[in-house]
Amino acid sequence: MRRLPMMVALYATAALAQAVPKETPPTPGPPTNFSLPEIRRFALPNGMRVRLMQYGNTPKVAIRLVTQTGNIDESADRVWLANLTGDMMQQGTTTRSAEEIARQAALMGGTLSVNAGMNETWIGTDVFTESATNAVALIADVARNPRFPESEMARIKTDALRKLSFESSDPQSLTDAKLRQVFYPNQPYGRPFPTPEMLQGYTLDQIRQFHDRNFGAARSRLYVVGRFDQAAIESAIRREFAGWKAGPPPAVPVVSPASRPGVYLIDRPGAVQSTMLIALPVIGVVPGSPDYRPLVVANAVLGGSFMSRITSILREQKGYAYSPVSYVQMMLGTGYWAEDADVTTNVTGASIRVVIDEIDTLRAQPITADELRGFQNFLAGIFVLFNSSRDSITVQLSSLDLYGLGADYLRDYVKSIYAVTPADLQRVMQKYIDPARLAIVVVGDKKAIAEQLKPFGTIVE
Amino acid sequence: MRRAIVSAIAVVICAACATTTPAPKAAPAFSVPLEYHTLPNGLRVVLWRDQTSPRVTVAVYYGVGFRVEPKNRTGFAHLFEHLMFQGSHNLGKGEFMKLVRLNGGVAGGSTAFDFTHYHEIVPSNMLRTILWAEADRMKGLDITEDALTSQKGVVSNEIRVNVLNRAYGGFPWLDMPQAANVNWYNAHNFYGDFADLEAASLEDVHKFFKTYYAPNNASLAIVGDFDPAQTMSWVNQYFGVIPPQPQPPRADVSEPRQEQERRRSKIDDKATRPAIAIAYHAPEPESDAYYALALINQILAAGKDSWLYEDIVRKRGLTAGIDATMNSYGTMFDIKGPTLYTISLFHDANRSPEEILTAIDQNIERLRTQPVDAATLDRARVKMRSMFYNDLDADYGFGRANLLEAFALFYDDPSRINRVESRFAAVTPELIRKTAEEYLRPSNRTILTIVPGRK
Repeated sequence: MRRLPMMVALYATAALAQAVPKETPPTPGPPTNFSLPEIRRFALPNGMRVRLMQYGNTPKVAIRLVTQTGNIDESADRVWLANLTGDMMQQGTTTRSAEEIARQAALMGGTLSVNAGMNETWIGTDVFTESATNAVALIADVARNPRFPESEMARIKTDALRKLSFESSDPQSLTDAKLRQVFYPNQPYGRPFPTPEMLQGYTLDQIRQFHDRNFGAARSRLYVVGRFDQAAIESAIRREFAGWKAGPPPAVPVVSPASRPGVYLIDRPGAVQSTMLIALPVIGVVPGSPDYRPLVVANAVLGGSFMSRITSILREQKGYAYSPVSYVQMMLGTGYWAEDADVTTNVTGASIRVVIDEIDTLRAQPITADELRGFQNFLAGIFVLFNSSRDSITVQLSSLDLYGLGADYLRDYVKSIYAVTPADLQRVMQKYIDPARLAIVVVGDKKAIAEQLKPFGTIVE
Repeated sequence: MRRAIVSAIAVVICAACATTTPAPKAAPAFSVPLEYHTLPNGLRVVLWRDQTSPRVTVAVYYGVGFRVEPKNRTGFAHLFEHLMFQGSHNLGKGEFMKLVRLNGGVAGGSTAFDFTHYHEIVPSNMLRTILWAEADRMKGLDITEDALTSQKGVVSNEIRVNVLNRAYGGFPWLDMPQAANVNWYNAHNFYGDFADLEAASLEDVHKFFKTYYAPNNASLAIVGDFDPAQTMSWVNQYFGVIPPQPQPPRADVSEPRQEQERRRSKIDDKATRPAIAIAYHAPEPESDAYYALALINQILAAGKDSWLYEDIVRKRGLTAGIDATMNSYGTMFDIKGPTLYTISLFHDANRSPEEILTAIDQNIERLRTQPVDAATLDRARVKMRSMFYNDLDADYGFGRANLLEAFALFYDDPSRINRVESRFAAVTPELIRKTAEEYLRPSNRTILTIVPGRK
C-alpha cells in the first residue's frame, strides 16, 4: 500500500462522477501512414532468388532458405518422406556433425531447423547481427551437403511414428486430416497421414533421392530480415550459394478439389466437446485473383475475427465455444474456407445452425458501409502488425514469391482492402460460400451428437 | 489464460568437442531508453518510445494473479479477466473489444501466478482513445448477470479444449503446481473447479474488482511510436482521477523447503504414450541463484546443443524432444512468487520412467559435482541473451511491455531490464555448481508421470 491514507479524501469527488451521463471515447487522431521498408531483390546465376530487408532495432536477423518442395512432391506410397528428409538433413553434413551444427547455431544465438510443409521446406535460424554471415554458411551447408547418416535413421523414423501416434488421436489433427481427404481425393493434399508400415519401410536411398530430385537453387529463395551488414551478407550469399546446382524448376501442382457436401463423423466416445470444421473449397480463387481480397474481407465479417458475426454469437452471446474462428486456407493451386470450432457436446447441432444461418444472412443481406468499414480497419491494422516482426515479414515475403505476386501486392494491400464494397462482399459470398456445398467434419461423441447432426445431411463415418 | 510454456527448443552439447566457428564479437550492451513515473494515486507508468512502426502497445498489469484468488472460488482470477471485456459504465458489453478491433488493433488478456494483464496493440493515432478506455474500465465495471453467465460458458469451454478434451491436458503446466506445492496459494487448480466457477456471483465480481483493480495495485506500460509529454498528460487526465484502494495484507505464498522427493501419477485415457515431468522448486526470482538456474537450463535442457538433448534424444533416442521452463505461464522474469523449474518429455511405453530419470540424473549430477568449463558457460550466456531479446520482441512488441510491467509492478524498478545481461555475466561456474547442488537435489523435486489407460 503506497501513500494511501491521505489520498482517499482527495478522490472522494471522483467517485461521484459515476452518476454522470456516459462519456464517449475520444476521437482517434489522424492515422499515420505505414510503408514497408525497402526490399532488395536479386537472383544468382543459378536461379536462386534473394530478398533482403533491414528491419527493427533488435540486433538480430532472421535468415530463412525456402525451397519449393514438400509433401506436394510425395507419391501415394511415400507420405511424409519430405518430413523425414528434412529431419535427416539436420543430422549432419559432409563436414559438420549434428552436434557441431547445433553448437555453432547456439553460439550465433540461434537454433537451426528444417521444416517440411505441404508446398515449401524452410531451413533457417534467427541469430545475432554479428553472426549473420556465419549463419548463411551454415544454412547453405545443411541445404547442399547433407550427410544422411545411416546411424540416425532408426531414431528419426521412431520420432515420426511418435508424431503419427499423437496426431492420429488428436481431435484437431483428425478433423483437419479428414477435411483434406474429403476435398482432395487421390492427390498429395489429400494424404495427411502415412501408415506406420510406410514410415518403417523408408530407406536412406529414398531420402537421398528425394533430396537430390527436389532441392536446388532454381526452387529456392533466401530471405534475410532484421539488422545486418548488407554488403557482407550479399557477398556471403554469393560465396555460399553460387555453386549450388540449379536443380528442377518449381513445379505447379495440378489440383482438382472435390465438392462433397455431407456430414463426416469420427466417433470419440465420451468427448466433452465436438471438434468441428465446417468448410468448402473456394474454386478458382488464388491470392492475387480479383475475388481474393473481397473473400478475405467477407471472411473477417463472417467468422475470421473476434468481432465477427459467428464468433460474437458462438462465444460472446452463447458461451458455446472458446475460440471459434474461420479462415481462408490457401495452398498452391487451391484453397478452402473453413469455420473451426470446439463446442460443448450438447450444443453441437445448435452451433452448426448458427454458422449456416450467418452464412445465409451475409449472402442475403448486404452489409452496411459502416459495419464493413470497421472490418476494413481491422484488416488494415492486422496487416501492419504482420509487418512488425522478422518472422512474420519473412512469411509475407515468401507468400508473395510462392504465389507469384509482385511487391506492389503488399504496397497496395491496404488500399485494396478499403476498395471492397458491400456489393463485392455479397457477390463473393453468393459465389463461393454456398451452404449447400458445405462439408461438416465432426470429431465427437457419436452417441450424444448423431441425432443433432441429422438435419445437416447424410452422415458418413 | 496464457499458457505460454516456454518450449525449450532442443538440444545437445559436447563440451569437449572443438568448434570451428569463432565466437561472435561482444555486442554492445543492451539499453532501453525508458521513462518511469508514479502518479499520486500510486499507478506506476513506464514509457519506451520506439518509432520502428506506427504502432503503440498499451498494457495494464494488476497485481493479482490466480495464486491469491478466494479459496472457495478457484479459477476466479481468470474468469474475472474475461469479465474485464464485458462492460464498464461508458462502454457496454463487447464495446471495448470493438473499439480496439474495428480501429485496426488487437487486444488480449492473460492471468498468471502474480498478475493479470490486459494489452492492446493499436495504430499510434489510437493511443489517446485506448488510454481513455483502459482508464474507463479501471474506474468501474458494469457487468450483467447474462454477461457473467456467458463468460462462465466460454471459460468452461476454454478448460474443455485446453484440458479435458485432449490428451495430456494440463500436463505439466496445470498439474505440476498442484503436485509439487504444499501451500494452497500455489497448489490449487488455477483454471478452477466447475462448481466454483458456477458459484461465482456478481457480488464476488464487485468485491474482487474493488480490492485488486485499483491504480495503486497496477502498472501501465506504453511502448512504441508516441510523444512522451503528450502521452503523460493523457495518462494524468484519464488515470489520475481514479482513487486508490486500501490493499489487504499480502498473502503468505511461501513454500517450505522440500526435504523429500514426491511422486504423483495421473491416468490419462486419451494419451497414447507415457510422459514424465520433473519439477524442482526454483530459487527466489531475481536472486543470483535464479539467474544461475536460467543458465543451468541453457546448459542442461534448452536447445539442440544441451546435455539432455545430446544424451536422451540424440544418443539414447528415448524421446523426440525435451521441454524445460522456469515459469509455465510466461518468461523467467514475469513471476514473483515461488516457481518451479520443470523438465518434461513424452516417451515410449517400453521404456520405464526410472530409465529416463536415471539418464537425466546422470547429467544433473555432473552439474552438481563439477564446475562447468568456460566455453560451456559462455555458450549458455549467448543463448540466454538471444532468448532475452526474443522475449522482448515477442508478440509484436507486447514482449517489451510485459517485462517493463513485471519489473515495475514487482520491484518498482523497470530499469532492471537494462541490468539483465549484467546479472547473467556475473554468474560464476561455482555459483552454477552450488545452485545445482542445492536446487537440483532429488529431495527438492516432484515427479509426475502420465500413464495412458482407462480411469
